[in-house]
Amino acid sequence: MQSGAGIFFDGITSARHDVAVTLGAASLVISDRTGNVLANWPYNELEPLTAPDKVLRIGRRGNLALERLEIFDADFAHAVDEQAIHIDRTGMIQRRQRGSVIGWTVAATVSMLLVAWFGIPALAERIAPLLPVTIERKLGDAVDVQTRAMLDTGKTGTAFECGTADSEKAGRAALDKMIHRLEAAAGLPGPLRSIVVRKVEANALALPGGQVYIFRGLIDKAENADEVAGVIAHEIGHVAHRDGTKAVLQAGGLSFLFGMLLGDFVGGGAVVIAAKTVLQSSYTREAESAADAYAAALMNKAGGNVRALATMLTRIGGATEPGMKILLDHPETKARVAAINKFADAKSTTPFLDAKEWAALKRICAG
Amino acid sequence: MSSLEAEPAPGGSVRFLGHRRAYWRLLVRGALLLMVTLGIYRFWLNTDVRRYLWANTEVAGETLEYTGTPLELLIGFLIAIAILIPIYLGFFLAALDLGTIGQMSGMIAFLALGVLGQYAVFRARRYRLTRTIYRGLRFYQSGSALLYALRASLWWILTGLTIGLAYPFQVASLERYKMRHTYYGDLAGRFDGSGLRLFLRGLPMWIAVVAPIAVTIGAFIEVVDWQALADAAAAGGDDVMGRIESTNPQIADVMVFAMLMGGASVTFAAVLYPVYQALMLRWWSSGLRFGDIVMTSKLRTAQVYGAYVRFVGYAILFSIVAAIVGGLALVAAGLLAGGEQTSIFGEVAATVILLGGYVILALGFSTVYRATVLLSLWQLGMESLQLSGLSALDQVKAAGRASSPIGEGLADALNTGGY
Repeated sequence: MQSGAGIFFDGITSARHDVAVTLGAASLVISDRTGNVLANWPYNELEPLTAPDKVLRIGRRGNLALERLEIFDADFAHAVDEQAIHIDRTGMIQRRQRGSVIGWTVAATVSMLLVAWFGIPALAERIAPLLPVTIERKLGDAVDVQTRAMLDTGKTGTAFECGTADSEKAGRAALDKMIHRLEAAAGLPGPLRSIVVRKVEANALALPGGQVYIFRGLIDKAENADEVAGVIAHEIGHVAHRDGTKAVLQAGGLSFLFGMLLGDFVGGGAVVIAAKTVLQSSYTREAESAADAYAAALMNKAGGNVRALATMLTRIGGATEPGMKILLDHPETKARVAAINKFADAKSTTPFLDAKEWAALKRICAG
Repeated sequence: MSSLEAEPAPGGSVRFLGHRRAYWRLLVRGALLLMVTLGIYRFWLNTDVRRYLWANTEVAGETLEYTGTPLELLIGFLIAIAILIPIYLGFFLAALDLGTIGQMSGMIAFLALGVLGQYAVFRARRYRLTRTIYRGLRFYQSGSALLYALRASLWWILTGLTIGLAYPFQVASLERYKMRHTYYGDLAGRFDGSGLRLFLRGLPMWIAVVAPIAVTIGAFIEVVDWQALADAAAAGGDDVMGRIESTNPQIADVMVFAMLMGGASVTFAAVLYPVYQALMLRWWSSGLRFGDIVMTSKLRTAQVYGAYVRFVGYAILFSIVAAIVGGLALVAAGLLAGGEQTSIFGEVAATVILLGGYVILALGFSTVYRATVLLSLWQLGMESLQLSGLSALDQVKAAGRASSPIGEGLADALNTGGY
């Protein structure tokens, strides 16, 4: 079949031309009814364009004017297809391209997950120590405002912070003595700031820049001064390792990686949140183990009793926590206790406080 | 669905030539690939969908053509990321600041990203128009995206303040701006839809949805002793609810009333939504003009309800299949995660199964919605159009050039994308 009918648009006006199309030696010749040649397209410049199923629509490659030729006869369309190398009505080229796209995007996804698992913690590890202490302080102050607003519900009717009333001053002095001994052994770059707050949970937390919160529940549950000191040493570990700053960097990195590059599809939000939760839990589990090791070493150095931290953890950790391990932000208590006890030295230890001071610390929130 | 004739009949009508089955196949394959590639495939899927819809829409005997490519969309997205990273970083750092800037940064970020989102909407429209070819000429859009963004943002604020009453006038004004800057070749577009007419048509629906809530708020103001309530809440402690009840004996009744009214409002909104969509589509497409070409829509509301009935049917079918498969998956997840001796690996596997199930469910419903309601709205919207003044089509001259895809990228990154 050497010629057929078609509809031609010259790309200059929207006028419709009924044309005769002839297959020439090296090109497609498009001519109007009177025989005037409207266009002459070399076969290797023909480009297939999207059209309904039964229409072959072609244009000319690299042509800025949007010339279009439409062929409706299936046999003639097939004849044109045979001549033009870029026209591929079976969709082979497109399928191959799509295959490579799918392959590479799957590879990109895997690479992104690997970066999230290994790369981001490693990066935070390297970057955090490079941040100047002043910036870390500033970050800590911002976090401090939020932390305080979150902890201080203002319901108790008394001051949120312990150790300020006259009857509590002795307790505060005892705590300061304990912390100074630990600080001297630790040799931190900046001073540690600590407050005891009226919260019944047995807990303590460290913010970036060296702010440590000690909950009164912790002091209430402790049976001797070294147990409190052990927990504070653990928090000093977080400060020394700059875990607060690392957590901010890690959270930012994960948000960027998952929030911006991925996930703009229905249901993607849940994948992003789940991946972030699981990964962040795994980061903090590592940080907790490292802080435990640091605390044990620090207690040894300061001449305290390492086993006291383990005892304290067992008491407040209680039985095995319910729920899934990959969502826990702390390693299991049993494993932590075993790891800490390995550090215990045989040498004799000096208690952090004498009986009188310890009794005063116990009353730090009595005011 | 009719097949194309060799000599398309010249007329004023628009036809849709596509087949539902082919569209389903496209969407289902797309959804599977979206899942495997965590969404990166969206550039390819969106392009496929547009190509299909454009190519199968026949206006006065000639079909439209979409010339955009997935790679353009991907590049536009990467450019948008490059622009947004410093902005996000700036807001992140500002939030760390202790002063008023830090306090305000969340608010400022929300407003700035809102304006940027509207900017993206206009630029994305420009991209889609310049990739739309008809009879060998392209559509294009002039005008300033920034001006549009400011205009749209002010309108959104006004609409918010008037609880939606200004919305018809907003749509009319923004549509006038968009169409005034829209061209097919050298044929200028405009929009003749009246905001007042839309307002009057939509007012009954607005009242049906808002009135129950307004009545409830009125009842609260009438019945509740606010001073006593505030005192009871401020006192804190365990028995807040008990004390509120003793000082405000009628509060329980008002609560029940509020729940009934809230339910009524939601029910009205759900039942009236197809009416609203039909009204908007009819009003909007009846206002479109290109030179002497005038469009009128004969869309019937019952047709839109039909689309929703089909959606509900397919959604129920999908839910049944999902429930059976999901039940089996849950058992598998339970076996992996349960028991005394759990390993991290088992937990990860269980999480992946649960998460995968959720994503399949969400993507499944979204696919059903796209293949039923959205396709039907396109088809009904197009086929109900009556065009007059088509003789103008014979002498339109080419104008305009292809624009950059950055607007699409921004819209994608900011979640304000359209078709």
